[in-house]
Amino acid sequence: MALTEDPGKPRNLAERVQRVQDAVYSAIFHNYVWQSIFRSGYPNTPRNQMLVVATNIFLHLHPTRIHRTHVKITHTYCLGGLTFFMFLILTVTGVLLMFYYVPSVDSAYQDIAALETNVKFGLLMRNMHRWTAHAMVILVFLHMMRVFYTGAYKPPREFNWVVGVILLVLTLVLSFTGYLLPWDQLALWAVTVGHGIGGSAPFFGDETQLIVFGGFEVGPSTLIRFYTLHVIALPLIAAVFMAVHFWRIRRDGGMARPL
Amino acid sequence: MAVETRAVARPAAKARPRPRREREEEVLVWPDLVFVEFIAATLFTITFLMLSVFINAPLLNRANPELTPNPSKAPWYFLNLQELLLHMDKAWAGVLLPTIALGFFASIPYIDRTRSGQGVWFGSKNAVRLTLVSAAYSVIVVAALVSFDSGDRTYTEQLTRWIPSCNAEAQHQGLPCLQDAEGEAHTGFLSTKDISKRLQFSVPFPNALGVDDSNLDWPGDLDRIPVPFNNVCGNVGSFHLWCDMNLNIPSIMAEQVIPLSTVVGLAVAIIYVLFRVGWLRTKRDLFIVMFTAVLVSYLALAMVGSFFRGEGQNLIWPWEIKVDEG
Repeated sequence: MALTEDPGKPRNLAERVQRVQDAVYSAIFHNYVWQSIFRSGYPNTPRNQMLVVATNIFLHLHPTRIHRTHVKITHTYCLGGLTFFMFLILTVTGVLLMFYYVPSVDSAYQDIAALETNVKFGLLMRNMHRWTAHAMVILVFLHMMRVFYTGAYKPPREFNWVVGVILLVLTLVLSFTGYLLPWDQLALWAVTVGHGIGGSAPFFGDETQLIVFGGFEVGPSTLIRFYTLHVIALPLIAAVFMAVHFWRIRRDGGMARPL
Repeated sequence: MAVETRAVARPAAKARPRPRREREEEVLVWPDLVFVEFIAATLFTITFLMLSVFINAPLLNRANPELTPNPSKAPWYFLNLQELLLHMDKAWAGVLLPTIALGFFASIPYIDRTRSGQGVWFGSKNAVRLTLVSAAYSVIVVAALVSFDSGDRTYTEQLTRWIPSCNAEAQHQGLPCLQDAEGEAHTGFLSTKDISKRLQFSVPFPNALGVDDSNLDWPGDLDRIPVPFNNVCGNVGSFHLWCDMNLNIPSIMAEQVIPLSTVVGLAVAIIYVLFRVGWLRTKRDLFIVMFTAVLVSYLALAMVGSFFRGEGQNLIWPWEIKVDEG
């Protein structure tokens, strides 16, 4: 700034407005604190735009350039990305729900009922968690269909498809374990149906019920197991598989293209 | 000197610059992709915020193990398995078929190793029509099997009501009859499982192989057929896989052989027809048919479970469903 010539007094109104705009912009984006967070300004040049994608922690999973056809909405409908985005919303709303929820048979139901009535935005958070969970299951199926019908599982992406199948199972199990937590009639009896299905496994039926459900009927030990699986074990496992899933997209040469 | 030359000068063929045309087909991730992602995320956030403002997540009464709702249903994505439970052996419906389906999904890329047709929607020649035919066929098959097999309102029940009830005082000699529950009105076949659970008949048979009344009774004489060497017991922990194992032939017929061969037979039939028509030529074609069929059946069965199953898991119209909460 100091190197430039003194611009003198503004000559007309437009120039005066321009001066004010520049001053505001400069105050926000050229101050010491802002520049300690974002080292460079808005990336205006192709070089800087590639740099920002390559060096920003949230963007660096992307390549810096991408084939024209892959940006078209109809190529992917953003399904995989949206599935991951649902996971993020579920993480945020889930953490908020955990503040008010105690996974014991005595208090679980009251906690949810109180969350809906006594907690500001509690009902909204629970609704968000519920509907995005359903959406994630639907989106993961749609994403799988997209990958299949575009032939994107073909070499060299075989293993990433398998990781995707594992993530499908993890999504279903995550959703199912969450289903029990409100401890209402819907939850108990839906999980009782699942408990029966688990118990029908040939040779390992009893073991499945004991290990996964914590007993021969759905009870307090089922609740604490499902809670632990739902809030920590399965999200961590899913996060690891997601990391592999996203990383493999890059390693396998980006999204599938016609040869 | 010679070594130096070799190190510096590379063969011309290896120093291949990236083809210029491909580079021109590329766009920058910022802004072209990042903004699309941002807009998609924003739209979904707004949509679900609005949805959550207007529609509340269900919360019924506090869980009561004494009070079983009728019908009690699994979450919608497992309702298809619950639906299959009505038609076949529970191990097949709940565990084995889903495991096979997932194994099939995972193995697709290892069997279909061709690289052609990737990166575009329905990239192979007949992909669209194979998908459509398979989807339509699956819906029709699921609807037909469900409406014929299970529930108290099926045509099967009406058409088999003429079979007499076994509760008559005289012993039925040879003629088939259907056992009715105590105090219940007589019904025909309610599901395939009734073949082993309610159907009774007998055929003349020499007094051998455990038959002692000159009649081979279904199911009485066939529901405990010992497996060879089942008297040899070698237990491993709590597992006794072979020891004291008997086969329940009527149950195996009704709950495994008939339902599974129906499913496999119908699948093979459509694949064979599509092959003879000439639409199905490659492994990719085969997998398009199978993948579509599995996914569409999964969805269709979930719909049946969600909207067409009322009290006692009987077939019912969606607007008639009432849940008895116990």
